[in-house]
Amino acid sequence: MREHQHYLIEREKIDYFIDRGYRIHGITENLSGAFIEFRLKDNKTDEESTEILHIQTPDGRKYFSALLLKQIQTVS
Amino acid sequence: MSSLESSIQKELQKNFTEVIPSLTNQEAFQESQRCLYCYDAPCITACPTGIDIPTFIKKIASGNMKGSAKTIMTANPVGASCSRVCPTEELCEGACVLNHTTKPILIGNLQRYATDWAIKNDQVLFKQGQPNGKKVAIVGGGPAGLSAARELALLGYDVTIYEAESEAGGLDTYGIVSFRLPKSVSLWEVEQVQNLGVTIKTGVKVGEDIPFDEIYSMHDRVILAIGMASVPNLNIPGEQSSGVYDAIELVKKTKAAPFPTELKDKKVVVVGAGNTAIDGATCSVRLGAENVKILYRRSEQEMTAYDFEYEFAKQDGVEFRWLTQPIEILTNKEGKVEGIKCIRMQLLKAAQGERRRTVPVPDSEFIIECDAVIKAIGQKRHLHFIEELGLAHKEGVILINNETMETSNPKVYACGDVIFGKGQGEAMVVSAAQQGKTAAYHMHESLKESYTA
Amino acid sequence: MADLRTNLAGITSPNPFWLASAPPTNSGYQVQRAFEAGWGGAVWKTLGDPILNVSSRYAAVHFNGQRVAGFNNIELITDRPLEVNLKEIYETKKRFPNHAVVASLMVEPNQGAWHEIVKKTEAAGVDGLELNFGCPHGMAERGMGSASGQVPELVMKQTNWAKEAAETPVIVKLTPNITDITATAEAAVQGGADAVSMINTINSLAGVDIDTWLPIPHVGGKGAHGGYCGPAVKPIALNMVSECARNSRINVPISGMGGVSNWQNAIEFMLMGASNVQICTAAMHHGFRIVEDLIDGLSTYLDDRGILSVQDIIGKSVPTFSDWGNLDLNYKVVARINNDVCINCNKCHIACEDTSHQCIDMLNDPSGNAILQVREEDCVGCNLCSIVCPVDGAIDMIQLNHEHPPMTWNERQTLIGSLKDKKVSK
Repeated sequence: MREHQHYLIEREKIDYFIDRGYRIHGITENLSGAFIEFRLKDNKTDEESTEILHIQTPDGRKYFSALLLKQIQTVS
Repeated sequence: MSSLESSIQKELQKNFTEVIPSLTNQEAFQESQRCLYCYDAPCITACPTGIDIPTFIKKIASGNMKGSAKTIMTANPVGASCSRVCPTEELCEGACVLNHTTKPILIGNLQRYATDWAIKNDQVLFKQGQPNGKKVAIVGGGPAGLSAARELALLGYDVTIYEAESEAGGLDTYGIVSFRLPKSVSLWEVEQVQNLGVTIKTGVKVGEDIPFDEIYSMHDRVILAIGMASVPNLNIPGEQSSGVYDAIELVKKTKAAPFPTELKDKKVVVVGAGNTAIDGATCSVRLGAENVKILYRRSEQEMTAYDFEYEFAKQDGVEFRWLTQPIEILTNKEGKVEGIKCIRMQLLKAAQGERRRTVPVPDSEFIIECDAVIKAIGQKRHLHFIEELGLAHKEGVILINNETMETSNPKVYACGDVIFGKGQGEAMVVSAAQQGKTAAYHMHESLKESYTA
Repeated sequence: MADLRTNLAGITSPNPFWLASAPPTNSGYQVQRAFEAGWGGAVWKTLGDPILNVSSRYAAVHFNGQRVAGFNNIELITDRPLEVNLKEIYETKKRFPNHAVVASLMVEPNQGAWHEIVKKTEAAGVDGLELNFGCPHGMAERGMGSASGQVPELVMKQTNWAKEAAETPVIVKLTPNITDITATAEAAVQGGADAVSMINTINSLAGVDIDTWLPIPHVGGKGAHGGYCGPAVKPIALNMVSECARNSRINVPISGMGGVSNWQNAIEFMLMGASNVQICTAAMHHGFRIVEDLIDGLSTYLDDRGILSVQDIIGKSVPTFSDWGNLDLNYKVVARINNDVCINCNKCHIACEDTSHQCIDMLNDPSGNAILQVREEDCVGCNLCSIVCPVDGAIDMIQLNHEHPPMTWNERQTLIGSLKDKKVSK
């Protein structure tokens, strides 16, 4: 598969969580690429659910960086 | 030889040396640097033998001359001759992508430079294959026959070429004017084939000196590469007079000293307008003829000679008389040619898909004064011989399977001019070389199982 | 016509084109010929204890038929007594009072030696001094040239000694044979240098004769490393000039050199912070007359842009030269092939297919003509195809709209760092 296709799949996965209100909570980058930890707080129960995504493509890693910027800017 | 004769011969020798100078080292280097080294290059596709042109050119640039020559000769066993006689602007050079920006690479000249290097440096480029015990006879040692022989020798076949002339090389040795293709180049190619263990029996006319059946029974396969025969008669009165020549015979006489001197200061008329007619005309000029005219019953547009040949003839001062049909060769009391009676022709509209026909203009006869008439209206076929072999043919053009070069007899293959015509084959030397290769490969395919099993 | 006069740390010249200290400036005869031809200044071939040279001194690297892509020499500094050179310098300066005559100097790392040569040279009327801390061969084996130039303390100390005696501006010429040239440039500044010049030649072995197996050039069967210069070193020199120019601690003018071969190269060096340029190889290849087009080309360039003085371009590109970490990760260019112009050599295809990102397809258009097409989504904008393309205008690198807002690597790392203590456990 072309790398671009990989990216599109990764982007879709990231969008899936973002669309459901998850926020990027933490990012770890290592030899295998990047691991994004998404968290979603249930307003009623105050319980937090956590999801981790492994992002491998360079475009995917640029993409979540842009989303992170947006997330931080909306907070401030 | 008197001193006058020898000085005339010396002069003629000069007239028959190659007209296009070879590239100097620096020219070749610079030109080779200009090659873009295209990927999937169109010049390769445009070459009937598929020479890997960018590769051989890059090898010139890198100074790997042996590799360059080998690249050429691998794809084309008569690659040295082809570098001189190929209509390159219609083939490789015509396909060069640089036609779209600057000017095409001088592929032909570079090919000549690389093969000349191999000739001068006495290079051994190929080795005979492991003998496989199979015997092949090739009738005719011209470009097609040599090419087939070379490929078969590399594959380990025991190959014998039967050649009617005293030297092999066919058209390249005898039929192309020296100032385009010196005999020595063609003979070098012959030698390359001989060096691979191919036996060339020269001066042997199959069907006369040795029966075809004998050859057929002695070998596992036979390849016919017998080319074409002499120029046909004009079928007009006076044709047998002294001073009437066959263009092919005339060219042949100029391929080695001593050069004929009988055309010196003569007025010459050449009948026909193909490449052979041009050869006959330019040879006459170089033999010292005072005036040379080409007569053609059609017009400039219909002439079959290559553009560069036409240009070359014009530069040599050859005159052209279009729409002129000879009807009688006139002779003096001694039976020598003194003129040619012609009639004007006119072109009719072409019928769908056909060549334009000509008809005589009534009462338009006129006489052109001349001392010699050279016939160059194509070549006859070895019809009688072909019929004796019982092969399917169309007016002397052996019919083949276009893919395999197989004739109607599965043990007999044919290639070169003998299969050219009637909408089949190609007239170029380079096509003959490719057909020889094709015949060799398919023959090998058909025989392989019988000895590898 | 634009004003081409330049000023390097107080040394003025009618134009920014100086001959570098090298064989072309060996004698008064040569320097005067150069000034007649139009050169604005000359740095005299290095003065010092007269040396002995070997025969067979130069070699060049030719590339694909292009002669002198690179040039290598094993010649040393002047082989003539100081008095002879100084007399000719005096005469030259007298004949050409408005041209810059700078003396290149090299002595052993000794305070007295530096004081002596500086005083003697200045007495001949030079406009400035250039300390040769760069010559990489021969002299370096004796502790001079690049041997001192590679040690920042020695650069500083010797610059200081020269400055103690000097009344004219002191330029320190740096060697590129060092990992980070800003270290020695800074040392020169600390030693009091009024300007720095760079680059001197790069350690080199021009070649090996594959027939005789001898080095090129060889001296009776033996070779030694030389100094490399010429067009091939230009990018190396330009980077070093740029690195110094953008370094705030190197706050002195720069005289740029290294492969400058035409007016465009000169403009590049000046845009990246050089106050003038020095040239040698191009003059050695073609003679002093090349300066005519250097001047003409530069002045037309300035006139076309309405720039009144060449000094106005100095350093104008320096702010655009930064660290990799400050480049926008979200800037995107892609290749676009103009099939009307393309001649179908397919070099872009094979370059991309074999050595880049496999995004140029060989296709046929509806009428069956061969065409080349970039799959833009897979194109990383590497430029390779447009680099190998032999036809102007056949491949354009097109900037795409930003998909994401600009973000540099440094910004990104800060951003991700702001999530600290929130590492993903995996």
